[in-house]
Amino acid sequence: MNRKQYIFILLFIGIAVMLSACAGAANTATSWPGLTVDDQFAYVAYNTQVYAVDLSNGKEVWRFPDEPDNSVTFFADPELTDDGQLIVGGYDFNLYSLEPDTGNDIWVFSGAENRYIGAALSDDGSIFAPDADENLYSLDSDGRLQWTFTSEGESWAQPVTDDECSCLFLSSMDHTVYAIDPQDGKQKWQTEELGGAVVGTPAFNNDGIIYVGTFGGRLFAIDAGDGSTINEFATKDNAWIWSGPTLADGVLYFGDLKGNFYAVDAETLTQKWIREPEQDDEEIIGSPLVIDDHVFFTNNFGDLYKYSTEGVEIDVVNVDPRDGNGKIYTGPKSSNGLIIVAAIQVDELLVAYGPDLTKKWDFIPAE
Amino acid sequence: MEIFSTLWSSLILDPMINSLMWIYSGLGENFGLAIIVFTILVRLLTYPLTASQIKSTKNMQELQKSKKWQDIQKKYKGDREKLAQEQMNLYKEMGVSPFGSCLPTLIQFPIIIGLYQAVIRALAVTPIQLLELTRHIYPFYAAALLIPLNNLFLWMDLSQPEKDFSTLPDIAGFEIPILALLVVATTFLQSRLMTPPSTTGDQGANMGRAMNLYMPLFMGYLAYTFPSGLALYFVTSNVVGILQYGVMGRLDWRNLIPSRFTSDTKKD
Repeated sequence: MNRKQYIFILLFIGIAVMLSACAGAANTATSWPGLTVDDQFAYVAYNTQVYAVDLSNGKEVWRFPDEPDNSVTFFADPELTDDGQLIVGGYDFNLYSLEPDTGNDIWVFSGAENRYIGAALSDDGSIFAPDADENLYSLDSDGRLQWTFTSEGESWAQPVTDDECSCLFLSSMDHTVYAIDPQDGKQKWQTEELGGAVVGTPAFNNDGIIYVGTFGGRLFAIDAGDGSTINEFATKDNAWIWSGPTLADGVLYFGDLKGNFYAVDAETLTQKWIREPEQDDEEIIGSPLVIDDHVFFTNNFGDLYKYSTEGVEIDVVNVDPRDGNGKIYTGPKSSNGLIIVAAIQVDELLVAYGPDLTKKWDFIPAE
Repeated sequence: MEIFSTLWSSLILDPMINSLMWIYSGLGENFGLAIIVFTILVRLLTYPLTASQIKSTKNMQELQKSKKWQDIQKKYKGDREKLAQEQMNLYKEMGVSPFGSCLPTLIQFPIIIGLYQAVIRALAVTPIQLLELTRHIYPFYAAALLIPLNNLFLWMDLSQPEKDFSTLPDIAGFEIPILALLVVATTFLQSRLMTPPSTTGDQGANMGRAMNLYMPLFMGYLAYTFPSGLALYFVTSNVVGILQYGVMGRLDWRNLIPSRFTSDTKKD
């Protein structure tokens, strides 16, 4: 082989690396952290590990698996069950049950054919796990399959239940919402085409109404009895809604992909107030958190905002004040008087703030 | 760097992604057909560049076969600097630009990369990818109705690599990666048919042979391991490329015959 042939081979390798890099940017299985809290720990699923972090000091309690495996990644919010399991879906098509105190695995369900992007739901001894293979899997507490419901699109959101009507509501990327009988997985109804993918988890009130936001720039109020549309609210400039709304005291709070944040009356779907973006390209992805008279929400610039429920900005803090590179796509969670956010593109995976947004601790995973 | 990224998005990537989605909506939301039609359109739009490249390559090859060229190769064999100088003089004298065949390729390169990125990005299958896609969509058309795109085409999930397909055609217990094989075959055909025959021992010919061997395998590997939408683009692009050369009368069918056979025939 002469010198020029070697050059050719090197050229091929160069092109391969370049194409891989291009594909990697667009195609690597990535998402943002999934986050769940109880009164002791924060459980965060991000990339190759699931971590349990002590809420009192921000120290790591355990991680799963012990050694990272690039073919096994986690991004869905972990789900705690009543009988003491932590359920977390992986991008390796497996659903894992872990011991919340130790991180030891209890069982693995391997029946899905695609990624788990949305969180599983635990209810009444069953686990309902939506998968990107367009199936919703119902498992018993030992991880045995009970039934499978197949929709017409992927579901990226945790389902919600209504015990009163014995319904399971599943939002879908096929632009509709389904009501399913949790006992046997039979479909009760499917909404009409809602004008865009429904990515976030629906909010549900006790008056038999569910609320979903869509990529069509609409927030819908849907009759939980038959799936008919009761009312709808249009976002400013029809900006797409990613997150599910948070319902508190008759008001729906949610953001859109143009950085607007809304408070909308749940009964009439009229706007109470709007907070418009302060920066170009601002996006609000995660569902907000409402505590008493305050609403907390995050944006893609790594900001955590604290507003009064009347729409007055009280405070804002950035997760990466030094460099400003951090991004927050996960909604904030609260426990033990802490507001916890999960960030990406910054060393701190978790940051805990007090109610006045003073920083309490951060968690940087050890290498 | 950020300026480059913004320019790249505004001038190349965004128009391509939106065109691809527009074609997708016009073709009954069939992303496979959209990739095929979009690739054909891009190849047609860049046809003048391709034609210019072919013409320049031909001129260069004719020059390199000329007696004058051969003479200076022999004369200045041991003096690389002088050889380069004399070659430049000959280029000028014969009116051939040494970069004539490179420049059109260089201009096409961003278009090819943009096309590649547009296909990959439109096939968003994870939250980060979908979020990224939303940032590239023009606000004036109802893209929300299209997303997520229907990734299924024939037996393929265009967002998945062929290696991850749950079902591949099976022959005697072996799963056959049809798409990867199609990419290898069309890349091989394209490179063979477009390469003019050369004399044995010529360094250019050796490089060409190495290229003809490695490139199809390399492309086949990419097709097997990257999302199959990209493999569909490779196959379409190769076939359109062969047809374009055919229309220009530049296909060299002799290259499909093994060189030993052709040299034996010549001896006879």
